[in-house]
Amino acid sequence: MTTAVSDRSSKPMTTVWHRIFGRNPLGLLFSAPYLVFVIAIFAFPLLYSVWISFHDFFFAAPGAKVATPFVGFQNYITAFSDPRVIQSFGNVGIFLLINVPLTVVLSLVIATALNRVTHWRGFLRFAYYVPYLSASVAVVAVWLFLFSGTGLVNQILGPLAPNPSWLINEGWAMPSIALFVTWKQLGFYILLYLASLQSVPKELYESASTDGAGPVRSFFTVTVPGVRQATVLVLLVSTVTGANLFTEPYLLTGGGGPNGSSSSPVLIMYQQGLQQGHPDVAAAIGVVLVILVLIIAFLQNRFAGGRD
Amino acid sequence: MEHVRMSRFQTVLRGVVVGLGAIVFLFPFYYILIGSLQRKPDPSVAGAFPNPANITGENYVQINERIDLFRGLLNSGIFTAGVLIGTLIFGLLVGYALAVLQWRGRGVTFALALLVQVVPFQLLIVPLYVLIARDYGLADNYLGIILPFFINSTAVIIFRQYFLQLPKELFEAARIDGASELGVLWRIALPLVRPALVTVVLLTFIGPWNEFLWPFLVTKEASLQPLAVSLANYISNVAATASNPFGATLAGAAVLAAPVVVLFIFFQRYFISTDIGSGVKG
Amino acid sequence: MRENRKEREFRRIGGQIVPRRTRRRTLGAAATLVAGALLLTACSQGSAKLTNDGHGPITIWYSNNEQEVQWGKQMVASWNRDHPDETIKGQEIPAGKSSEEVIGAAIAAGNAPCLIYNTAPSAVGQFEKQVGLKNLSKIPGATKYIEDRSGAVAKQYQNAKGDYFQMPWKSNPVVIFYNKKIFTKAGLDPENPQLSTYADFLASSEKIVASGAAENAIHPAPTSEFFQSQFDFFPLYAAETGGEPFLKDGKATFADQAGYDVADFWHTLYKNGLAGQEQYQGDAFAAGQSAMAIVGPWAVAVYKDVDWGAVPVPTKNGMPADKIWTFSDAKNIGLYTACKNQGTAWDVLKYSTSPDEDAKLLDLTGQMPIRKNLATTYAGYFAEHPEYKAFGDQASRTVEVPIGPNTVEMLQTFRDAWTNSVIFGRGSVKQSLNGAATKIDEIAKQP
Repeated sequence: MTTAVSDRSSKPMTTVWHRIFGRNPLGLLFSAPYLVFVIAIFAFPLLYSVWISFHDFFFAAPGAKVATPFVGFQNYITAFSDPRVIQSFGNVGIFLLINVPLTVVLSLVIATALNRVTHWRGFLRFAYYVPYLSASVAVVAVWLFLFSGTGLVNQILGPLAPNPSWLINEGWAMPSIALFVTWKQLGFYILLYLASLQSVPKELYESASTDGAGPVRSFFTVTVPGVRQATVLVLLVSTVTGANLFTEPYLLTGGGGPNGSSSSPVLIMYQQGLQQGHPDVAAAIGVVLVILVLIIAFLQNRFAGGRD
Repeated sequence: MEHVRMSRFQTVLRGVVVGLGAIVFLFPFYYILIGSLQRKPDPSVAGAFPNPANITGENYVQINERIDLFRGLLNSGIFTAGVLIGTLIFGLLVGYALAVLQWRGRGVTFALALLVQVVPFQLLIVPLYVLIARDYGLADNYLGIILPFFINSTAVIIFRQYFLQLPKELFEAARIDGASELGVLWRIALPLVRPALVTVVLLTFIGPWNEFLWPFLVTKEASLQPLAVSLANYISNVAATASNPFGATLAGAAVLAAPVVVLFIFFQRYFISTDIGSGVKG
Repeated sequence: MRENRKEREFRRIGGQIVPRRTRRRTLGAAATLVAGALLLTACSQGSAKLTNDGHGPITIWYSNNEQEVQWGKQMVASWNRDHPDETIKGQEIPAGKSSEEVIGAAIAAGNAPCLIYNTAPSAVGQFEKQVGLKNLSKIPGATKYIEDRSGAVAKQYQNAKGDYFQMPWKSNPVVIFYNKKIFTKAGLDPENPQLSTYADFLASSEKIVASGAAENAIHPAPTSEFFQSQFDFFPLYAAETGGEPFLKDGKATFADQAGYDVADFWHTLYKNGLAGQEQYQGDAFAAGQSAMAIVGPWAVAVYKDVDWGAVPVPTKNGMPADKIWTFSDAKNIGLYTACKNQGTAWDVLKYSTSPDEDAKLLDLTGQMPIRKNLATTYAGYFAEHPEYKAFGDQASRTVEVPIGPNTVEMLQTFRDAWTNSVIFGRGSVKQSLNGAATKIDEIAKQP
């Protein structure tokens, strides 16, 4: 068995070239535009933000001489001794606990079902995507309308409706937002799973069927393992998007909700950085958020994506 | 496409559950449509059903008087098209390179693609604005709007994942036949990537189409603003002066959502599975 | 895809195998990226002259309020007619939530326009700290111009050192609007509403809600944005104390009996279901969902379909209308350092605040120019529009937010305490106000 085939490069190369650029330098060429893009657009602001988090800093007009002394971890300490910041991280934790599992499970189940239905397939798929397609700003208006104290949902629920109602209820505000975001984003993940389902070989299902497995059984033995790569992706993207939650608390609860129970770290960053002129503290919160998310993503990858 | 035999009952049950779910999902959007056609907002349960006496196209007229809906759609289109071009061309190249080729810096690039997603936009927004508006001089410019979104990193990861799922044997077979790497990409990988292309188009479209904060910061000229920005401005300030502010807002939202909806319906047809399994066996 | 099972030699990143050796290379690559990024931006340090006296074309921003846009366009057109070498380009920015963020970012990027006719006093301190605003007091004759035009209230717009970094432009004295039809339906007298004492106000509100004439008696925004307290607490506190500012000598003033009384009043309104705890999409008063609104005259255009009346905000025991103070809700003009033609900008500033232009502002928008002796200077207008007379009179008794770099933070701290204890009834109102005052005293000490 020759393994050399996959290592072949397209031009005659010296070993020095190989050592610098790897076996297939074309890969670097292909990726160059993307890398330039990331460096030019992304790297500078990110590094700058990290730098800001270690200084007593505020944005001043260009040409202005302002002192921005190095202050070590001071901003981090200031940020995290504020109970509201800690609370916002906790809120996002609650959000993720509700949103991520719900998203993974629901989107896979719905995608599987959508993959199989024969009647009205187009319409059904469309229905599930539609929330994802609409701009948050508009959907929020409808959602607020439906979930207000006297809105449709409470009218239907009658005595079961929580009081005070959903978004102004300290215990229900964040879960309400989690439900909203799950509903709104589900189309994206359904699409990912649908794409992934296309490459699960039919033969596996047929052999499961001949082995006597019913639909539920084959779902767990064929479908779930078959889309594992997509699951890893769905987990990752939904966690990352959830951790960076901003628009929904901003629009649905106008800045933090009852007793700050629906504030999120990015919301606090926005308030601190853009409204109150403390980009240094905001940057500190941001850096910690990024690190936490990276840790969670790493753990997810290890446990969900690791084994072959 | 029944691979597994389901009892009649299970099939019907599945159909019912999926159908009910669809209705729940669709309902708010349906409400947007109904609300945008009402003369006066009707919050009662009966208001959810179209009432001929309350139907009017006036909300659309009113919002169009204040913000040029057509211009806004055009700008949204330019913004989104720019992002799509960048992502489909350069994102695909990167995704392919990450999945199929061996090269130095492969791990770093992938890590970068992940990192770009993890970092919240609000952390970067002021330095990014300084960078684009001051250092690159691109404020009030289509390029300035497009640039931060030019290559969608999620798309890169999707492309990569998709290419990873293609069997290596296909590429090896082509290489044995004497194709160059570029030829492999062009003749083997690209034709197979259609489902991923469709996915990526649909997913990448949404971001810039509905994006509000960045174009809002970068453009002050009303003639350059995408519809999402004009709509948000309208909601925050002008809507109150319309005769049915709620309806006018929903009219704008419906107009904003319409092209995407059309795009989705259109692309549904291309969402076919390529029979890769038999391609390898062949 | 068959993976190599030598797990120890390889690490997985997101499902992709990366040899351990790559780690050093990865760091090296990262370092190159860093260097590249820094290099790219090192060459682009802007060199701007922050103070100048130039004359030439300028750009201005005004809010996207329809009437203000009208005023802005005609002002620009008439100036441009007479000054072809120093033309103005006008653009709109949203008046709402995010205008401060837009301006702050523009200052940082150096592309703020010369004049912004939508500068909120609460943000001026920050913009000054950012070296984004020009010190108007340094322009010869400017202080005199400002104080001649605006009279005694101008002093409220000075910074801690007594300098003007903003030109007081227009105010929207906050009053109580009430819907005459709803009042009639509830059995209240629409021409003489009993709204001047807390007791009367509460009684009227109870009647409105009990009779079902409207869902809420009054519905100020119950959300936690920092500026919302300007429309529930502030006006009543100003009235109750006869014009006390929010911050005096670096100390919060509101943790006093007057403050507690105001807070208790609102607390009762929320507790008894007379004021809505949920945000309303749109304008509750215009939609008839609320019988009253607490807002300034800019809203008259929005309320064109409502038969409205206006009275001053209530005080605990009632006061004669001509003694009642309120919140100004002013929007001012800033001259920004990014401006290359600051000479022209100052000339335009003066032009746009001349008695003529102020008259047009009054006529087109119904908002009150911050000009002394408003009632006498524009007697003709008020004769023609008697419903605006009350606003014109009220405009001379307005309180402003504290001018300083930490105002937004202070307001946010206050608002958080307010929403908790007053709107949502958690914890004692008194304690929460005291707590906020202590925190704000601390914040005020920061530079």
